[in-house]
Amino acid sequence: MRTLHPELPPIPSRADAVGEHLAGGGQVAAVLPVHYPRSLLRAFDLLPVEVWGPPVRDTQLGDAHLQAYTCSVVRSGLAVALAGGIDVASVLVVPHTCDSLQGLASLLLDLVPARQAVVPLYHPRVGGPAGTYFLAAELRAVYTRLADVTGRHPDDAALSAAIAREEAADARLAALLARQGSLPLGDRAFYTLARSREYLPAERFTPLADAALALPDAPADPAQVPIVLSGMFPEPMALFDAIAAAGGRVVGDDTACVGRRAYPAGRSDDPFVRMAERLVDGPPDSTRGSAVAVRLARLRGLVAARGVRAVLFLEVKFCEPELFYLPLLRAGLEADGVRSTTIEVDVTEALPHQAITRLEALLETVAP
Amino acid sequence: MKLASSLRWHLNVTVLGSAWLKWDRLRLARKLRRPWRHPHLGPPLLTSPRLKELISRHYLRGRFANDRYPVAWVTSGAPVEVLVALGYFVIYPENHGAVCGIREVGDTMAAHAEAAGYSPDLCSYARADIGAALSGETPVGRLPRPDLLLCCTNICQTVLYWYRVLAEHFGCPLVVIDTPFVYDQASEHAVTYVERQIEDSVAVCERVAGRALDSRRLQRVTSRSKEAVALWGSVLQCGMARPTPITAFDAFIHMAPIVEMRGEELTVAYYRALLAELRRRVDRGIGAVKGERHRVLWDNLPIWHRLRWLGELLAEHQVAMVASTYTNAWGELAELIDPARPIASAARCYIHPILNRGTGHKLATMRRMVGEYGVDGVILHSDRSCKPYSIGQVDQRSRLAGEAGVPALLLEADHNDPRSFSEQQATTRLQAFLEMLAA
Repeated sequence: MRTLHPELPPIPSRADAVGEHLAGGGQVAAVLPVHYPRSLLRAFDLLPVEVWGPPVRDTQLGDAHLQAYTCSVVRSGLAVALAGGIDVASVLVVPHTCDSLQGLASLLLDLVPARQAVVPLYHPRVGGPAGTYFLAAELRAVYTRLADVTGRHPDDAALSAAIAREEAADARLAALLARQGSLPLGDRAFYTLARSREYLPAERFTPLADAALALPDAPADPAQVPIVLSGMFPEPMALFDAIAAAGGRVVGDDTACVGRRAYPAGRSDDPFVRMAERLVDGPPDSTRGSAVAVRLARLRGLVAARGVRAVLFLEVKFCEPELFYLPLLRAGLEADGVRSTTIEVDVTEALPHQAITRLEALLETVAP
Repeated sequence: MKLASSLRWHLNVTVLGSAWLKWDRLRLARKLRRPWRHPHLGPPLLTSPRLKELISRHYLRGRFANDRYPVAWVTSGAPVEVLVALGYFVIYPENHGAVCGIREVGDTMAAHAEAAGYSPDLCSYARADIGAALSGETPVGRLPRPDLLLCCTNICQTVLYWYRVLAEHFGCPLVVIDTPFVYDQASEHAVTYVERQIEDSVAVCERVAGRALDSRRLQRVTSRSKEAVALWGSVLQCGMARPTPITAFDAFIHMAPIVEMRGEELTVAYYRALLAELRRRVDRGIGAVKGERHRVLWDNLPIWHRLRWLGELLAEHQVAMVASTYTNAWGELAELIDPARPIASAARCYIHPILNRGTGHKLATMRRMVGEYGVDGVILHSDRSCKPYSIGQVDQRSRLAGEAGVPALLLEADHNDPRSFSEQQATTRLQAFLEMLAA
């Protein structure tokens, strides 16, 4: 348990959440990044616990199967799985986020058997009716697979109830993001809360978020330089200490793990179509192949709404989806007079000093 | 304007260009009739000058295509038949990337993209192509500006991001044909999804081309695709003969028409001629490598910038690289193509290339090819630029060597960027591997 603010209830740790869920008779699903239907897993009483490459781990077990030019999230994810780090999970969900995660899923299915049932999930790269049709059908196939693994067969009412809980939680996440920077929580506390969505059940996250949203706004500190965070995910968390030390404050988020997963509510009465709609209609994301212009428009909107003049991109080395978009996004922001920089991280390593220097340089250029 | 562009086309392509290319073909053909003196390699294929004429003609037409045709840039595994039937001139940036690699300017082109902020960790084809688009430089003279981009994800997801960048740069429509990855068997909903996208794409392709799709023409084009793919498969199967009349190095070069000219009559005619020549060589026992002693299989894309070096190194050791999983990818799906149902069968065909299938399927393919081609060893090119092809190779190599008892080597390189390749290190590893084959 951790306390983020004196007026907030303590936030359970990953281990607490998993322990409580198992004690209640549920099962755990380890989930690799990025997009997946939480509600479908929850309908099977599977608690999704996300694996974004636990930081600073020995990846030797992963390196024995994957080339060094594979991203550290994938190598670390495999290392953790092979080391027994996710043995508590009975299912391992691998969304088709990129070629490397696709390769990992295939490897685990064909050549390096995991201890869990491996469930790949393909995300459509086209939106509209074709994408929704496909994803709904894909989710039905995942349902069948999960039914085989768990022996459970949740009906439509159970699915709809799970969807309603997740939609409520995502609405709270969106509300938190809308007030990012004005809540009386530091960046580290804010992201600890927002990222607890990665392992807390929706029904635990929602009251926590409500409590945070009930807090009054903190007075703005004119000495702090507001920035928007983009990229894959904010790791290591020491980054926030570096941002604070350099006089910065994160007031907007476009990371794949937080801001790009504030899914809207679905529309359909069919639970599978509704779950598909939520994922297909989510915020623009490079891993889903969104158009560059759409990605840029969202960033511009965020920057304008928060009155920000600097964007920090946190990228994982070898992450192709992000790296292709980066030059155009940065050029677009630059054209608007918004400065940006990129920090390349490897989840297996601590935050390099060079990254701190880049961060400091960015904040100095836009400091009042 | 139309008259001027028409005159320019006829003068440069139909009259001068064609005459020059024909003269060049005859000149090369004469050269090939001279006695062949290479100490390790067998005589070159007599159809090679024809291939050169075909490819040069394609890029020559490309230079002036904007005056005459709607132009589409497409990925190598895209369902191109609709575009061909609509009269598009089609350019394959990956093939252009390979040309840059062969001409040893892949890194120069990539440097233009890197200077614009594109990471050196991105695919080297993509960097070369984006670099060419940004700089306007190309070893083929000039690439026509696309009116349409068609990206099919059946070879990797990388192409999707790459084409998003191109779409932004050229400001033209991008059609995405998304082909779900096949971990085991393609699900019916995945095939239906692809079929629906191809159907939806027709309207965009028609709008850009300014004409309606003629279904009979589409059937004819599909029929030619099927025939060319089947012929290409037969060409590759000639590698099963001992000695092999064709190596995978030859196939890497001769695959150009099947990649970038599927659906054209000239492609069918070319592969008929190539197949006939190879069969004559089989009958006469003419090998591509003199004194062939060992046979190896190649996995992954070629190292375009070191093709000759690697080919000669292997031939020096009397090793023939008789097949590759890469060239095989364009020859194994002919039976899925049905000209009577061009769109439905395209969906089923284009979801199934080896790159869109699991690591277990690739291992099974390699095992099958080891048997069919009588292979003594396998070289797996661990390609820094192609993650979907390379992930899994560490275990595939172990399984081949352990369970199948076939010596297998993992060779680190990059298909188009010589900066990610150490010739000395590769030589050491290859020599150790070749010694093992010889033992």
